[in-house]
Amino acid sequence: MEYFIETYDLTKKFTLQKGFTDFLMHPFRKDEITAVEKVNIKIGKGELFGILGPNGAGKTTLIKLLCTLILPTEGTAYVNGYNIAENSGKVRESTGFITADERSFYWRLTGRQNLKFFASLHNFYSHDAQKRVDELLNIVGLKNRADDRFLSYSAGMKQRMAIARGLLNDPEVVFMDEPTKGLDPGAAQNLREFIKERIVKEQGKTVFLSTHHLGEAEQLCDRIAIIDEGEIRVIGSPEELKSELDKPNSTLDDVFIHYTGKEFKEEVAPKHPYSERRRMMREGRRGMMRGGRIGGIRF
Amino acid sequence: MIYKKAFSFIKRDLILATSYKFEFFLRLFFMFFSILTFYFVAKLIGGAGVQYLEPYGGDYFSFVLIGIAFSGYLMTALRGFSESIRGEQMMGTLEAMLVTPTNTSTIITLSSLWSFIFTSFRVLVYLLIGVFLLGVDMSDANLFAAMVILILTIICFSSIGIISASFIMILKRGDPINMLFMSTSELFGGVFFPIAVLPGWLQTVSHILPITYSLSGMRHALLQGYSLHALAPDIIALAVFSVVLVPLGLLAFKYGVKKAKVDGTLIQY
Repeated sequence: MEYFIETYDLTKKFTLQKGFTDFLMHPFRKDEITAVEKVNIKIGKGELFGILGPNGAGKTTLIKLLCTLILPTEGTAYVNGYNIAENSGKVRESTGFITADERSFYWRLTGRQNLKFFASLHNFYSHDAQKRVDELLNIVGLKNRADDRFLSYSAGMKQRMAIARGLLNDPEVVFMDEPTKGLDPGAAQNLREFIKERIVKEQGKTVFLSTHHLGEAEQLCDRIAIIDEGEIRVIGSPEELKSELDKPNSTLDDVFIHYTGKEFKEEVAPKHPYSERRRMMREGRRGMMRGGRIGGIRF
Repeated sequence: MIYKKAFSFIKRDLILATSYKFEFFLRLFFMFFSILTFYFVAKLIGGAGVQYLEPYGGDYFSFVLIGIAFSGYLMTALRGFSESIRGEQMMGTLEAMLVTPTNTSTIITLSSLWSFIFTSFRVLVYLLIGVFLLGVDMSDANLFAAMVILILTIICFSSIGIISASFIMILKRGDPINMLFMSTSELFGGVFFPIAVLPGWLQTVSHILPITYSLSGMRHALLQGYSLHALAPDIIALAVFSVVLVPLGLLAFKYGVKKAKVDGTLIQY
């Protein structure tokens, strides 16, 4: 079988910045946290693969590794057959990245101007760019609002713009980092249908999607990997995973508890990552951190 | 196709700049003020210090006009690259650009193009006001030689700016290159006064700064019409700086991006 995404013991460790006192007391000590540990996955063409886990589990770090935004500490990965560390340019040519972060657009530019600018970064210019942008605005249903400034768009429209941008280069593989985050239930449901029907079924894209919504993972994904504290606990289709439990009418929540020993809680991300890091550094001084992994922080 | 990509960046920045209309016009308006300040300072000074100004034609206002106009390129280079990184990081758009096939160095370089265009526009306005309203004599100017000096100046200053941006990639704030060149160039580089005014041992510092050769060459080309041959010492010095600084800048930037990718701090600010 042809795999579009393959990872082999993919690991990412982050070095924590030292506080001033720590630097003076332990100048040579290296405090690390493991965000992703020995991840091995294989994803085939046209598959909608979900990575499910609470905030801080390592989902975003894994996506950023595969998108070449960060380099792995150990292990390797191939996207479309290209090594993410050695052929990062080729990986980016054939992938799209869709993030829920609405700040990733220029708010004072119109939707069309935004897309045309990003099209130029994908080497589409003039007529080609115009054609592709019009096509995508049609697909995401924003043609009538294309010449309004991005700042006037609703959260759902902004998210549809993010999808249009992620498809600019007609990628084989699309990475989606919590695509329905911040949307109201109706808009989130519409977006899920759009992803399943238009992007996967109609266009045949391979989608790697991260989510911390059990329902979303169950509704959308062909297969799911449950990730906790950077480690993949189990991989399978939602039905397979549920049927493996000796419990009638089991849910994905039960699956999560079974494989992680924890209840699935949709944790609230820390307001400021540095305050969380400072808290961890304090705990580290009390000997709680060294060599361990810490959940609850999103990278 | 790089020029088409460059055009996209310029268009984006022009739309963004003109979308803040009041700020855009204020920036144009306040350009006049610094010129007028030095015009009146020059009137006050009159013929004092003429022995120092003799090699540049003897007129202080002409001397300082070129100093403040072209030192703008150094300021733009030092700030332009690092500010474009910080700006994109703070707006949140950097990550979306870095997942495209356009490589990081191209993104950073093209993001600072608008600053260079705006600086060039400001230099042109300064020179036009100087010549047509305030009596600066550039009738003998050797424009071709001035262009050669300008190109070498931009290459040198941009390389320093890229080294500065490499520090920003890793440190986020507190870049030592920026602070070093910002604080030394105006004092030792001959922006406001000829370096001959400085004691001999301080002039040594001037001679290791590219801005010294850039401003000296530009003044001789625009005010006295020196030929390329006569400008050879300045041109050679700038060329040597370019040969050293360009690869150093590229290496530093490559290292900075790699380190930020390893640390996972590429989009942090």
